[in-house]
Amino acid sequence: MTGPLYLAWRHLALHRAKTAILVTSIALIVFLPLGLERLVDQSAAQLTERAAATPLLVGARGSALELVLSALYFESDPPRPVGWAELERVAASGLADALPLHVRFRARGHPIVGTTLEYLDFRRLRVARGRRMAVLGECVVGARAARALGVGPGDAVLSSPESVFDLAGVYPLRMRVAGVLAPSFGPDDDAIFVDVKTAWVIEGLGHGHQDLARPEAEAGVLRREGERIVANASVVEFNEITPDNIDSFHFHGDLSSHPVHAVIALPRDEKSRVLLMGRYESPGEAMQILRPVRVMDELLDTVLTIRGYVIAAIATVALATLATAALVFLLSLRLRRREVETLHKIGASRGSVAVLLASEVLFVLVAGAVAAGGLTLAVGRFGSAAIRTFLLS
Amino acid sequence: MVLGLLALGCVDREGPSDEAPASAPAVARLSVFAVNEPLRYLAARIGGDAVEVSLPVPPGLDPASWSPDADAVVDLQQADLVLLNGAGYEPWLARVSLPVRRLVDTSAGFADRLIARREGVVHQHGPDGEHSHRGTAFTTWLDPRLAREQARAVAAAFTAARPTAAAAFAERLDAVASDLEALDARLARAAARLEGEPLIFSHPVYAYLERRYGLDGRSLHWEPDEPPGAAGWAALDAILAEHPARLLIWEETPLADSVARLEARGLRSVVFSPGANRAASGESWLEVMQANAERLESVRSGSASSASLEPSR
Repeated sequence: MTGPLYLAWRHLALHRAKTAILVTSIALIVFLPLGLERLVDQSAAQLTERAAATPLLVGARGSALELVLSALYFESDPPRPVGWAELERVAASGLADALPLHVRFRARGHPIVGTTLEYLDFRRLRVARGRRMAVLGECVVGARAARALGVGPGDAVLSSPESVFDLAGVYPLRMRVAGVLAPSFGPDDDAIFVDVKTAWVIEGLGHGHQDLARPEAEAGVLRREGERIVANASVVEFNEITPDNIDSFHFHGDLSSHPVHAVIALPRDEKSRVLLMGRYESPGEAMQILRPVRVMDELLDTVLTIRGYVIAAIATVALATLATAALVFLLSLRLRRREVETLHKIGASRGSVAVLLASEVLFVLVAGAVAAGGLTLAVGRFGSAAIRTFLLS
Repeated sequence: MVLGLLALGCVDREGPSDEAPASAPAVARLSVFAVNEPLRYLAARIGGDAVEVSLPVPPGLDPASWSPDADAVVDLQQADLVLLNGAGYEPWLARVSLPVRRLVDTSAGFADRLIARREGVVHQHGPDGEHSHRGTAFTTWLDPRLAREQARAVAAAFTAARPTAAAAFAERLDAVASDLEALDARLARAAARLEGEPLIFSHPVYAYLERRYGLDGRSLHWEPDEPPGAAGWAALDAILAEHPARLLIWEETPLADSVARLEARGLRSVVFSPGANRAASGESWLEVMQANAERLESVRSGSASSASLEPSR
């Protein structure tokens, strides 16, 4: 029985090009639907994983998807801001801890995320070099952002102006890098984290300036009326927070109205979650509270529907390709009629010839399937990273 | 759109570790920072061996004017609890990053009884309108009843952090509360002996003492270790013209020359230390306050000589 198998192998080896084309075709038609499904499943699972790890999100009423994408992935335009009072409302309920997210600004394309230290604990973000932010004006940079910006502890990052034509808008703040985070293999790697108060300084809600009571600021003082000092715009305001000027930084206005774009609520237990969600159900409620995993599931349902159509199309192409491959084999039998006759003349039985030809087909199918399996495994291991690297960068 | 969404979720399989944080030993002491000596004292007494309390403010410096540098903030970030006085005592809070859940505002429970400070510069620059840096009187502990409420807030925070030691915390809190009640009674008696005599304070830090014991005081801005200067004496004379005080209360022992010149004006001097930082003498905060009460008790209304001036901090 080894004779026909040997002859089949030698035949395929002799016609390498034809064999390679057949194996590649079969590998691709098997791999494409399997690999795509694997990739989509993997991406969906990981999208859902981050959403599932974020129990509740509070923000202004509007697009739930926009709120989730900006608060979890820092990718969408920032949603309408809400006041700090909304964070205090969650915290004061006693049902959940609250983490603020201020996501309006960027630094050379990387999101500046204003939050509190608890966010780093919540996402289990570990500092690889340096330390966490300690004082106003310091930032902690995600691993990928640090690589892209070429910064490390002690360096500085400048926030980007929102519009080069808006001269009266927010002006850049030079932030000192206190530390670089270890890779977390998620959106946090691309972000620059600052205390939410630093984000408010960028927004102009807090500022540091010359002490107007001191002689060197006299040129900027328009008039003094008892304890009231009126200064002109020439008063020096600082665009970098240093140990020398940090004590001059202060905030004005009502803290409860200072903006955040979302509040992550971490309920104490399931009952607290339900009770907290119930508090945002009234018809006149200006806020929305949502479970990010639900929003992402709805989004993925749409994506998965599209995936179904794509896989159906690929399966149709696969059937056509298999039919073509079968045709190739049948046509090759005609071309090999004299070869078969010779085999019969030298004593090969009809069964042996059938085994020989079937073995050739089997070799090609098995080789194609093995190659497809290898490619599918590779997608499982490296596919997502490859997409992020080659499609996003 | 689909590729973008896929890419959003695309991460390497090796995500962050699910490793649970190492469980702390059952007997681990709570690491606590207090922002002034009264809170450090109260925390140390209530916490006992279960708590390790530190005061990050260097000796000799008024904690109200202290601001932590980045290294000090990093130390505070490591603490299990940071005890704040509240009432605007820590303006540096707006300039640092600390874990919010570990901050304990010990005066939050009586926010409606805080005293607004009238003094402060109002300034205006740019289009945002005028704003001031006025605040709230913050030496809350000079009213022992408020200090007792702060002690309760400390005990509550300790209990939340170490529920197993709740009974011990409660027992020690009772002892502290008892001492503060005794101090309150003693100060009330001393204040009653002043019989409504007009007073002058060297600094505007006695608002809660004034309110609690119905003292009739006006405040200067004099430093005990600096001569008041012509402007200072003029300010005093202006106050005396409408507020005929016979007693001036200092935060610390004043210069002998200042005392002599005050006596020439018919004013006696007495030290009432707020005890905001550690006493140089090594006395505890309660002992400092008891010494304050003793000096007030020694004051005789209408007496010509200055009362005891020994410093208590």
